[in-house]
Amino acid sequence: MPKAMTYKANSVIYFQGDISDRIYILKGGRVSLNSNDIETGEPVRDSIQTGEFFGVKSALGKYPREENAIALSDSHVVVFSVPEFEQLALSNTRIVMKMLNVFSNQLRRLHTKVRGLLAEGEQVDPELGLFRIGEYYMKKKEYDKALYAFQKYLTYYPSGAYHQLANKHAQQVEQYASQYGIGQGPGLPATEAGDSVAGKPGANGGAHSAGVGGKSELGPVAKQYYNAVSSFSQGNYTDAMKQFKAIVDTSDDREYVVKSMFEIGRCMYSLERYDACIRHFTALVQRYPKMPDLDEALYYLGQSYEQSGDSDRAIGFYKKILSRSGVSEALKRKVNNALRSLQGA
Amino acid sequence: MELNLDAFERFAVHFNKGNIIFCEYEPGDAFYLIQTGRVQISKIMGDIEKTIDILHPGEIFGEMAILEEAPRSANAICLDPVKALEFNRANFEILMRGNPQIALKLLKLFTKRIYDQRRRFMILTLEDTHAKVADVFLMLDESQSGPKPEGSERVFYTTPGDIGHWAGISPELGRDVLNQFQTQRRIEIYTDRIVVKNINEFARFVNSRRKKSEES
Repeated sequence: MPKAMTYKANSVIYFQGDISDRIYILKGGRVSLNSNDIETGEPVRDSIQTGEFFGVKSALGKYPREENAIALSDSHVVVFSVPEFEQLALSNTRIVMKMLNVFSNQLRRLHTKVRGLLAEGEQVDPELGLFRIGEYYMKKKEYDKALYAFQKYLTYYPSGAYHQLANKHAQQVEQYASQYGIGQGPGLPATEAGDSVAGKPGANGGAHSAGVGGKSELGPVAKQYYNAVSSFSQGNYTDAMKQFKAIVDTSDDREYVVKSMFEIGRCMYSLERYDACIRHFTALVQRYPKMPDLDEALYYLGQSYEQSGDSDRAIGFYKKILSRSGVSEALKRKVNNALRSLQGA
Repeated sequence: MELNLDAFERFAVHFNKGNIIFCEYEPGDAFYLIQTGRVQISKIMGDIEKTIDILHPGEIFGEMAILEEAPRSANAICLDPVKALEFNRANFEILMRGNPQIALKLLKLFTKRIYDQRRRFMILTLEDTHAKVADVFLMLDESQSGPKPEGSERVFYTTPGDIGHWAGISPELGRDVLNQFQTQRRIEIYTDRIVVKNINEFARFVNSRRKKSEES
């Protein structure tokens, strides 16, 4: 049975550090909870209102009292044991809801403080963190878990820094899972280790740690692809286009085929063949609606229409990009600039 | 206290053994009450996956999502086929009003979390790295349930890596500090446990550092 008790003015109801399962409700008088702020060490005095509970957290959580509870004037309290308090709470949800509110606010504040202190060192960027979880499970050959993490990554960061790698890994683990089964197969393959981010984030962009073994070797298709990319970057668009076409025609590596098809469109744009570019990207977007560079493809469509004088269509594509989620900031800026100059004209 | 959750059947979700319910760093907007099966809470630290807890029917996890859509701080993985009730901020009130038992359970969980976070905060605000590490042992000692052991020697089934994690310092630095403590014969490090020779001495040490930083 809850007990009514009276404390004389200036008497102590409980001391900081006491361990007790008593919970109090103030019926009359004045009670103050005195402690020191955990951040500044400054004294803190919380006065309890009539009808308010105190001593709840430490009693329910079974940890030492965090403050001294002092009766400032003659005070009447009702004392509950934890089971008695629970009985009361079950018949009165309002009390619990109110406390949940108070506690969750305290918890939120504490969380923010702790996170602030961890700012250096311990905190991991959630985007990279999520990607690394996928890599960890891939390495451990837990393909189903790896797939989960990579898919989540692609859901939340569709054009994030690792979206291409995540996409590639996701397809890879799916293939491993069906080919070898969970716990079997190559894990994170050696050829992938070069672009793995499992090691330290490499702040200076220097050498990657070759996580699971050996040097990273590019496959023949990848070599072909990067040769083509280098032709493109040197402005040899016709050559680059031929090289990308060769990949599309001869390779069965879906990833490089899609990438190359994307690049062919860019070559056409750079060669100012806007009609061809529009036809090419339109077909590509229809065929691979989930391709990783979709936003960019839409941008080239917009640009090509703009260059061929069809402002309405161009604006349509730009607006479509802006309506999509996860568009990179850089692209958004470009699109906004393009829209401004079109609509301002 | 038998829970009658029939009314909440529409919130039920099912997972297969080995499924991930959520993983660390994923944005979270739901929390779960286990109805059948066990759920492993784990965290990947470097190259190992550490089990933090194994939860059973009747237990709640992912509750931080009620507060904010912060990234998850651990993985939740099914050890068995799992049936759980999934709640979010939208249906949270309905759940709590209809089921004071769950509300009470959550309240208790929050008291524990508040204590843990407060304690963690106090460790992190110490300036002296040695004091941080010593305070982690004090925290672990406080959280050991049951009667306090006789004398001042304490055994903790933990690893240098965990201690460093709690102290908010790198594993390497954590190991350095622990090695120094070992050289000073204040602790003994074994593969599965760390023995603190005199927990009271650690308490005095931490208190002296805490007061100092307040005076400055």
